[in-house]
Amino acid sequence: MWNVSGLEAVHRDYKSKGVKFFFIYKALAHPELAGDYVQPFTQEERLAHARQAEKQLGATIPWIVDAMDNRLKHALGNRPNSEFLIDPEGRIVRKRAWSHPAEVRKDLEELVGPVERITREEDVKLNIEPPLKAPAARGAVPRLQRPRTVAIVMEPKSEERGLPFFAKLRAEATDELVSNGAGKLYLGFHLDPFHNAHWNNLTRPLSFKLDVPEGAKFEQTSGVAPKVQAISDTDPREFLLDVKAWPKDQPLRLTVNYAACVGEETCHQVKQEYVLHRRRDPDAGAARGEGAGFWDRDEFAKQQLAGDRDKDGKLSRAEVRGLVLPHFDAFDTNKDGLLEFEELKAVSDWLNHHHQPGAMRTDSTTNPPIGLKVRP
Amino acid sequence: MRIACQLLVSLMLIVMSSPVQAQRNKQKVNEEDFLTEAPVVGDTLPDVSVYSPNGTAFKTSDLRGHYTVLTFGCLT
Repeated sequence: MWNVSGLEAVHRDYKSKGVKFFFIYKALAHPELAGDYVQPFTQEERLAHARQAEKQLGATIPWIVDAMDNRLKHALGNRPNSEFLIDPEGRIVRKRAWSHPAEVRKDLEELVGPVERITREEDVKLNIEPPLKAPAARGAVPRLQRPRTVAIVMEPKSEERGLPFFAKLRAEATDELVSNGAGKLYLGFHLDPFHNAHWNNLTRPLSFKLDVPEGAKFEQTSGVAPKVQAISDTDPREFLLDVKAWPKDQPLRLTVNYAACVGEETCHQVKQEYVLHRRRDPDAGAARGEGAGFWDRDEFAKQQLAGDRDKDGKLSRAEVRGLVLPHFDAFDTNKDGLLEFEELKAVSDWLNHHHQPGAMRTDSTTNPPIGLKVRP
Repeated sequence: MRIACQLLVSLMLIVMSSPVQAQRNKQKVNEEDFLTEAPVVGDTLPDVSVYSPNGTAFKTSDLRGHYTVLTFGCLT
């Protein structure tokens, strides 16, 4: 989440002075949130994400799309929302870990000069479109509540002229599984909203099979998703496997079979393969939302208050950071220039239920569903 | 005196290892790390091949001749 309106305001003031602004589309920071988006598998899919981001964020700032090997993200320090100012000779003149439009304006006033009339953030009207809508209902299959897991490296085996990955695997493992080879393995097959597909429940449910390598011991090497009464739905099909032993150097081959339809007519029987590796994928982001875990309100507020340097129990603008910083004013509901515990809890509500970059809404006071835990 | 010193050291260790302090240290280190990690201010922007949303490939070294603001983001 970052302050798109704030940056758009600076962009409007400085584009006539020759300054160019770009958003860099990188791997998703929080898959499954804000429209049930999942990590793209192909460059073409990532380009489609960026085109959706143009519409969904409604900014006139153009996008640059990182390559699928995440080379620009890796070359610039691997942060989800970092910001860089480059001079005309191509040298980095400013860098910060989190985007901060007010600081960008200060930088440009210093480097390029002040503008006559400053566009205020609140005067920027973004032309925001909603996230992609799922083509069939959700809620038919209860979500599996994952334990604390991290994404692991998996390679989809795409075939030339093969069908797209309508459903995309999200593979996650507990720390114990990654480090010691014994623990829980999460396999989630999530429909990619960009392919507009829904499950065809009139035929056999999704099933998967693992080819277990030498030295590995799994309690379960295949699985079948539950039969669903509704003709179609778009809920993820999820499994949690107990792994007794998985040697680190032995990749795991997975085959999945499912029936997916695009629209009313075009249905496909799909068989796709993946290779899973027993190592963490640092580019896969941290899944958030139903099943993957929401931010816990109290824990979130406490974490943020760790930055309270003067110990007054509230955060001033200088003490606030990261996720909260760009929306300081909007969340400072009593307008005292400080964010206190309750206001910080409102931030987590918003993150949990309306997490959409650029779209600012603070009207939610709903709690996250009971029993869901925060993930790191 | 020696016992008092030991007590003081233990007390300091407890304070420094409290969750709040740990979190604060982590955040501080996190940010300071970022600023000292390569590329640092003064370095040339790494030259890599990227795309425009319509799929046209170009190089980051093409971003010359003007000030450029780059901000990382995504749909989530």
